[in-house]
Amino acid sequence: MSVSIVPTLKVLLPAARIALVALIGLIGGYYANAMFFPGTSPEQPIDFSHRVHAGENEIPCMYCHVQARRSISAGVPSVNKCMGCHTDIATDRPQIRLLASYWENKEPIPWVKVHDLPDFVHFTHKRHVQADIECQTCHGPVETMDVVSREAPVEMGLCLNCHKDNEVVHGTDCWTCHK
Amino acid sequence: MGAGGGFMLAESIKHPVEHLIPYAVPPEEFSSGIATWYNSICGMCPAGCGISVRTREGRAKKIEGNPSHPVNQGRLCALGQAGLQVLYNPDRLTAPMLQSGERGSGEFVQTTWNEGLSEVASRLSASTNNDGIYFVSEGVRGHLANLFELFMNELGSANLLHYDFAHPHSLYAANNHIFGERQLPYYDIRNSRYLLSFGADYLNDWLSPVHHGLGFGHSRQGNGDARGRFVQIEPRMSISGASADEWIPATPGSEGILALGIAQQILAGGNYQGTDADDWNAALATYSAAYVEDKTGVPADTVARIASEFSHAEPGLAIGGGAAGNHTNGVDTLVAVNALNYLVGNIGKPGGVVFNPDPVVGSSTAGRQANFAAMQDLAENARQGAIEVLIINNTNPLFTLPPGAGLKEALASIPLVVSLSSFMDETTAMADIILPSHTYLESWGDDMPQPGVGFSVGAVSQPVVSPLYNTRATGDIILGLAGKMGLGEAMGWDSMEDYIKDSWRNVYERGSPDAGGFDSFWREVLTSGAWGENTRNSNSVVIDKQVIDNIAVAEAEFSGNPDEYPFVLHPYLSTTLYDGRGANLPWMQELPDPMTSIVYGSWVELNPQTANEMGIQDGDLLRITSEHGSIEVPAVTFPAIMPDVVAMPIGQGHEEFGRYARNRGSNPIQILAPNMDAVSGSLATSATRVSLAQTGRRAAPVKTGGESRQLGRNIVQSTGADGDSAGHSAKLNSIPIVVDPA
Repeated sequence: MSVSIVPTLKVLLPAARIALVALIGLIGGYYANAMFFPGTSPEQPIDFSHRVHAGENEIPCMYCHVQARRSISAGVPSVNKCMGCHTDIATDRPQIRLLASYWENKEPIPWVKVHDLPDFVHFTHKRHVQADIECQTCHGPVETMDVVSREAPVEMGLCLNCHKDNEVVHGTDCWTCHK
Repeated sequence: MGAGGGFMLAESIKHPVEHLIPYAVPPEEFSSGIATWYNSICGMCPAGCGISVRTREGRAKKIEGNPSHPVNQGRLCALGQAGLQVLYNPDRLTAPMLQSGERGSGEFVQTTWNEGLSEVASRLSASTNNDGIYFVSEGVRGHLANLFELFMNELGSANLLHYDFAHPHSLYAANNHIFGERQLPYYDIRNSRYLLSFGADYLNDWLSPVHHGLGFGHSRQGNGDARGRFVQIEPRMSISGASADEWIPATPGSEGILALGIAQQILAGGNYQGTDADDWNAALATYSAAYVEDKTGVPADTVARIASEFSHAEPGLAIGGGAAGNHTNGVDTLVAVNALNYLVGNIGKPGGVVFNPDPVVGSSTAGRQANFAAMQDLAENARQGAIEVLIINNTNPLFTLPPGAGLKEALASIPLVVSLSSFMDETTAMADIILPSHTYLESWGDDMPQPGVGFSVGAVSQPVVSPLYNTRATGDIILGLAGKMGLGEAMGWDSMEDYIKDSWRNVYERGSPDAGGFDSFWREVLTSGAWGENTRNSNSVVIDKQVIDNIAVAEAEFSGNPDEYPFVLHPYLSTTLYDGRGANLPWMQELPDPMTSIVYGSWVELNPQTANEMGIQDGDLLRITSEHGSIEVPAVTFPAIMPDVVAMPIGQGHEEFGRYARNRGSNPIQILAPNMDAVSGSLATSATRVSLAQTGRRAAPVKTGGESRQLGRNIVQSTGADGDSAGHSAKLNSIPIVVDPA
């Protein structure tokens, strides 16, 4: 006498169908989120345009991000740095008035981070800037962007490929970045 | 539904939104991502070490020792490192407050600085009797001490007291008595070849432990092959005792008799050639080896051997303090210890006792130090209604005074109690108005370390971070009160920073004028964190014949009948919590006590033999009773303690002082008798007898060490003192100890 398990499995068939549809939905939903809400160009408190500053007016990156060549972080310019120019330039535009209101209240501007590495990655701007790596290598063509968005995937592959191409000493050791 | 799930899944693995918040106006020297180090002064204990604080983005991140400061030379103890937890403590007082309920009810409402200061100022102005204004501060030095003097002077009150539980009143009194010095001398442990310590736990809490640690290391290993020897005399092995070549237990309170016995042996051996040798011989005639053995329990041949070794070491140095100085004969004992230094001729020599010059920064506060007698007077005056306003600055007498002083009840008779503390401690909880002060990491100040290092040292303390809360520096609170009261004439500085800077012009003018002028000098002092000058005190000393003739050590008196209270209680300052001020710092709570490896909580140490006889096991909850009260603490057997002594660390047992300190362990000060040293008026903390009783409950203390015995694993090879191999009962000096019972 043989016993078949097929009748037992048949009971599960409707459940399996539901699971399959749910899985497809799950994947679809995941990509829909990634496609339509990527979060790579978050809304900023002031509509600051890198295209106008770095592109049209050709202000060097490190005029504002002064720390990049000597600190681990590039540094966001302080409000008084902005006001250094905007006390005189384009003072009647609404966005500059918004800037001035921060300045009058002596309040910092809560910029939203676009490029953010996880805490287990040790990255220092200083070494990369001093090695003449272009800012755009990781940050993309910022000078063309009105709203900065994350274009290059700043992930481990990008770091490793670049370290390999440039034959960085100990460039592929785990502890170079994960320390 | 699946699509929704997938959508949420993708949403949930996104980076959270992070902000990049720049300064509106960045501070000078600020670079994001780059650390800035500030040199300042540690405020955790009275030693006055220099610190270097690492700050990033305006936040203090790490405290280290300042390498340029002559006291600690780049080193720092655990308590100093834990200063960050004072700054960032979640239980800090964040704004001025007024008591809104009954005093002691703990109900407070916030107020503004303007209102708080005005209220105190008007009550001060309204006081009918100037001497009814009392100001009790923690021990402060430098210009903050000067500012307090000025303020009280302007108010016309003489009642300015500096109160620290661990202030060595008896040591000051002894040095004044025998050498005529109002300041402590510098004990040059670094260059001594033979250190004889009578109860001074100098590597843990005595005077300036970090500096002593450096000196001890050098005397041991810094002189080529010549290794300095070190003998510790105390009833319970302290951390210093554990580092000694020889540990000698003497009957509690008899340390001074032992010192004079050693002195007598030095004279008898013909090792003192001074012109006053005859006077000394006559004065010390009674302290024969047999008499000393009888009183101290230290064998006569040990006394003779120590005397010989000590007088032939060049140079030998004797120090005294800790429990030995905290008996009813404390000053006698410390005078006797100083006599040893005189007899071996180390005064003013490297490796001996070097007198410190007068303070350059601020003036001496020797006359202001409040001993137990002064605090009892304060309580008595309060009871008689003679105190109208009591201002308390960052000191906690309700925790560190035995209840016998009666201060807590006496506070009820004081109409206004003001506290300037940063924390809600036991004393601050009884205040009517709290004007919370900055921590030392947010304040301007200066200091001349006491005791110094033999030459003039000054240091400046500067804020390393912007104030975290709506608090003010103590100096600024006093200046604010002075402003409200219209005392501007005498105290016309805008801020403490102004006052310090102004006063340092005098220090600048002492030296050869710098080409850059005062500003360049000031920048240099702030950068290095310390200033020094090669001014030294005269180093010759003549001891009055009268002092020599009257040299003697009275027998120590104890509270309690030995039949009823068979044990002498030996309270000692906790390595981690000091006098209790570290109890609100989690780092210090979880730092194991070096001798027992216990974290958190209190315990009582007793000899294993005593424990055996009484049927007590480790972790049994005992009731310790003195004539003045009782507390419950778990037992810990501790081999290196005399069988009739029980020891307890001070520091736990807070009723207030924040979430980490409250309701943890018990406070041995609560059962101390209000005995005093007859000469100095200092509290005799080691003069209380107690009895032990089982409660029938257990409360095993939390230890990191687990098992202190070897359990036959032969980790430490040892031989019993009587020549037997390990595993048998042995005697360590006169104390029976059990070496790893099989």
